[in-house]
Amino acid sequence: MIQLTNVTKLYGTVIGVNDMTLDLAAGAYGLLGPNGSGKTTLLSLLTGQLIPTIGSVRVLGESPRNNAELFRRLGYCPGSEGLYANVSALEWVRYLCQLQGFTSKDARRAAEAALATVGMTAAMNRPIASYSRGMRQRVKLAQAIAHDPDLLILDEPFNGLDPIGRHEMGELLKTWIAEGKSLLLASHLLYEVESITDRFLLINGGRLLASGTAAEVQALLVDAPNEITLRTTQPHRLAGLLVEREITDSLRISDHSVVLSTRHPGQLYEQLPSWLAESQIAITEMHSADESLQALFNSLLKIHRGEVV
Amino acid sequence: MIFRSVATVFWFESRRALTASRLVWWGVLTLFPSLIVGMIRMAIADDPNQPGPEVWTVFLFALVPMLVSMLGTFLWATPVVSAELEGKSWVYLAVRPYGTIAVLLGKYLATIAWVLSSAIASLILAALIVPLDNVGGIFSTILPLTILSCPAYAAIYLLLGTLFPKRSMVIAVAYTLIFELIVSMIPALINTFTVQFRLRTLLFQWADIPIRGDTNVLLAFVGNPPAWEHVVVLVAFTLILLLVAIGVVREREFSASEEGNG
Repeated sequence: MIQLTNVTKLYGTVIGVNDMTLDLAAGAYGLLGPNGSGKTTLLSLLTGQLIPTIGSVRVLGESPRNNAELFRRLGYCPGSEGLYANVSALEWVRYLCQLQGFTSKDARRAAEAALATVGMTAAMNRPIASYSRGMRQRVKLAQAIAHDPDLLILDEPFNGLDPIGRHEMGELLKTWIAEGKSLLLASHLLYEVESITDRFLLINGGRLLASGTAAEVQALLVDAPNEITLRTTQPHRLAGLLVEREITDSLRISDHSVVLSTRHPGQLYEQLPSWLAESQIAITEMHSADESLQALFNSLLKIHRGEVV
Repeated sequence: MIFRSVATVFWFESRRALTASRLVWWGVLTLFPSLIVGMIRMAIADDPNQPGPEVWTVFLFALVPMLVSMLGTFLWATPVVSAELEGKSWVYLAVRPYGTIAVLLGKYLATIAWVLSSAIASLILAALIVPLDNVGGIFSTILPLTILSCPAYAAIYLLLGTLFPKRSMVIAVAYTLIFELIVSMIPALINTFTVQFRLRTLLFQWADIPIRGDTNVLLAFVGNPPAWEHVVVLVAFTLILLLVAIGVVREREFSASEEGNG
């Protein structure tokens, strides 16, 4: 679906995308990265608005730059608003459908259907200027799906949506994926993406940090320290025990808990019960902060920044 | 496909321009020449030496093909790209088949339709109040000049707006002042590269305004070649500018990284 070969994009001396190589099969992917990580630059490269300084970009097997055939199969919802204030959603989506090559009648039909899909039928004849931010976000999605593309690329589609709107948007995208269509969803919020797909691309500083399913990305962190919290009434004794067994890289005591960092979590989980039994130390709670995808993402970022060796 | 897209943009933009402010501008441009002609008439009402047809022809040339066409196309065509970029709507058009070309040419045609309609209406109104018995001659001279000037100026401003989208209006004003108003008056080879020179020469030839042939300076000021050559140059000039603008819009990266926050 998407192939990037050693793609670098420079804005003068600033790097937008840094030597990125990627080969994605058809499917749904979340593109995750903090603000300024290069997501929008990457999407601009994929939609042919930017030309890579080095390397090549292929989308659905074709170069995206000025490619009319590809644009027929591509739906793009950018992060910026950019809607005409004085036209209605129906006029605007219909106009963009006509630019896709639809006849006037077919464009109207497609626009009405797309606006119905995003729940905008009731307001579609009102000027866009009168819409809330959430409504505009829906209209943006409508223009991206109206021509029934094979690949949908969305840049921060949840921005401005209220919780109900987010849920509805999520359901809509899940339906899209269930229909066997491809999706690339860029966001800086992990929870938005993980509710829709379990395959991720994590980027920061224009570099691809990791890609794959959550489990595959987790596997990359085998050698990275895991942070584990143990709650006990005897934190000092427990800390002493752990130091004695040389299982931790670091630890700290706070209130009634011991927070430790270890590169050997498996060994710890295996041996901890017997150590506790021998020492007569009771723990009331144990959890690893690194079990969530957010923690995984944070760990990758730390590795990338050189904060973790 | 591309022609249908151009037509789509043309109709959409023409409809979208039906706003109060645009209509006011259209009205102001249309009425301005009549207002000036009316004021000139009042000023010279008691003058025994009333201006002849040549003088009124030059007045109307200055007011319609120069002022209305130039100002109208400047206001419409210059921000064609920058308005979409600043409004962040460019990206929606750029990911459509031939979208950028369709936007450029569709808006160009919309510019011509709006400005030419204003220019022709202003010419008719102004000609009606010119105090001459036979204004038909003046009208038939100025009308083709207006029809030539609108597409040519629109193409210039379109190209400038495409080349310099961030400072399009400033660049266009500078171009107009330096080239169309100053350089076009310089009696040397360089003035032949301006639209103003071609139009002015056609005016003198079609209006049969006598030119002193004993001075090369005057000939360089209004031009010597036959009228058809000026028409061909103007048409070719317009087409070349449009082709360059299309080339620029296809090859240039207009996407701004700051568009999104990622």
